[in-house]
Amino acid sequence: MLKLIDVTVKYGSSIALHSVNLEVNEGELVVLLGANGAGKSTIFRTISGLLKPAAGEVKFMGQSIGGWSPDRIVKAGIVQCPEGRKLFPEMSVLKNLTLGAYIHRKDKAGITRSLENIYELFPILYEKREQPAGSLSGGQQQMVAIARALMAKPKLLLLDEPSVGLAPLVVEQMFKTIEKINRDGTSVLLAEQNAFAALQIAQRGYVIENGHLVLEGAREMLCDNEQVRRAYIGA
Amino acid sequence: MELFFQQIVNGLVLGSIYSLVALGITLIYGIMQLPNFAHGHLYMLGAYVTFFMITHYGLSYWPAILFSVAALVVIGMLLERLVFRPLHHAPHINSMIASIGVMLFIEATARKMWGSDYRRLDSPYDGVIDLFGLTITEQRIIVILSAIALMIGLNLFLKRTVIGSTIEAMAQNREGAFLVGINANKVSLMTFAIASGLAAAAASLAAPINLVYPSMGAMVNLKAFVIIVLGGMGSIPGAVLGGYILGLAESISGTYINSEYKDLAAFALLVFILTVRPTGLFAKEAR
Ligand SMILES: Nc1ncnc2c1ncn2[C@@H]1O[C@H](COP(=O)(O)OP(=O)(O)OP(=O)(O)O)[C@@H](O)[C@H]1O
Ligand SMILES: [Mg+2]
Repeated sequence: MLKLIDVTVKYGSSIALHSVNLEVNEGELVVLLGANGAGKSTIFRTISGLLKPAAGEVKFMGQSIGGWSPDRIVKAGIVQCPEGRKLFPEMSVLKNLTLGAYIHRKDKAGITRSLENIYELFPILYEKREQPAGSLSGGQQQMVAIARALMAKPKLLLLDEPSVGLAPLVVEQMFKTIEKINRDGTSVLLAEQNAFAALQIAQRGYVIENGHLVLEGAREMLCDNEQVRRAYIGA
Repeated sequence: MELFFQQIVNGLVLGSIYSLVALGITLIYGIMQLPNFAHGHLYMLGAYVTFFMITHYGLSYWPAILFSVAALVVIGMLLERLVFRPLHHAPHINSMIASIGVMLFIEATARKMWGSDYRRLDSPYDGVIDLFGLTITEQRIIVILSAIALMIGLNLFLKRTVIGSTIEAMAQNREGAFLVGINANKVSLMTFAIASGLAAAAASLAAPINLVYPSMGAMVNLKAFVIIVLGGMGSIPGAVLGGYILGLAESISGTYINSEYKDLAAFALLVFILTVRPTGLFAKEAR
């Protein structure tokens, strides 16, 4: 479904990604593990079209999307819930969600249905729907961010560290929700530092260090890998 | 006391004009971080278009205004497309310099085509209305009410329609807007169209009260920038409130202190408010 082929990305003259090869298949939940500054967000921003690859190819469902604008990539079906959430802080939660469905804005009935699903998934957002998104707690804002991404009905959902800054109990719930979203048919690429929790729900994973993908494999293989255990699970 | 209320009305008229111009500047600043120094000159063009539509082409007042707004909407979109969009990925200073270039270009063109004369547009509404013992010309009432109607319309568009809210979305979080599939170019184009249209409307409403001449945009522009600095860069309520505050301050100080000092009042107010609140009245927290 998504395929990065030898993708290199630079910030000015410094290289942030070195020939990255990564793949997500239809229906999969793939985790991308890496420490601070390893390059996870850079991969995500490149897939979403916020950064242009200096070399290599990004393919999505047979098309080469490497030079596309972000809005075109969203329309193609890749939607990102970004690091730092990037909500519209002064707008109500409901307005944030409505704008999440911007590409479906003509389908009023569809938006109503999506909203119902979202409120079922995150009941607290129904209570808070009239409040400015910026006034919510960190965990609730994270839910708005994920919900906003879901409103676009993505084929592939990119989640950049959705658990960051959340209380452990909320994190657990967040991962359950992500698992459910995937089970309901959305492919997911999940960036995490919380390797233990992420590997519980993923089918496959990659490890990135200093802009190089250094390891890839099925969940069991990564869980058993000595290097992964030491670096990310602390066992 | 009567003089005082008369000055309040005059202040509201001035404020209406200032607010409409400042709204355009603040909308553009909000989504592109571009201080469009040419905005006052779009205002001037709007006044000329209305003037000629009435005096040379025999249109009546309201159709002339509509034509002027439509013309400036097109000019605004052309500016975005031909001047500012190509500079989007260039360093920020380039767009600012370009807007000064556009400003000089528009003024020179106006002088070349229409000369430097001061022209007067006769108001079709020159009657006076007696309101609570105040005599107010109909034109002034029209300016005040039209400005309010435009601001309410703009507000409904921004808050109640999905397309309108893309402007605010982009102002509140640019990347967030990209990630929900909003097309940055379309929003910029639309914002320039609205801002230029508002400038044309303001100029056309004011034309029968003020004179029409090539450099008429410069002072309005300066005032509008005072207003958005005063109200908080990019803030919409700030632009509206700031516009009325400045209009009232000018008209009242012009009467009670000295009419020579009325422009000074604007800048004294600016210095004062920025001393008390360096980020402006409605400044948003840094993002
Ligand atoms: N805008 C930028 N300009 C220059 N360098 C940048 C920029 N953004 C990121 N980098 C650098 O690129 C590298 C990868 O950063 P990236 O944000 O992709 O890491 P990450 O894996 O997402 O880290 P984190 O876990 O902290 O989110 C880092 O060395 C970072 O310093
Ligand atoms: Mg990151």
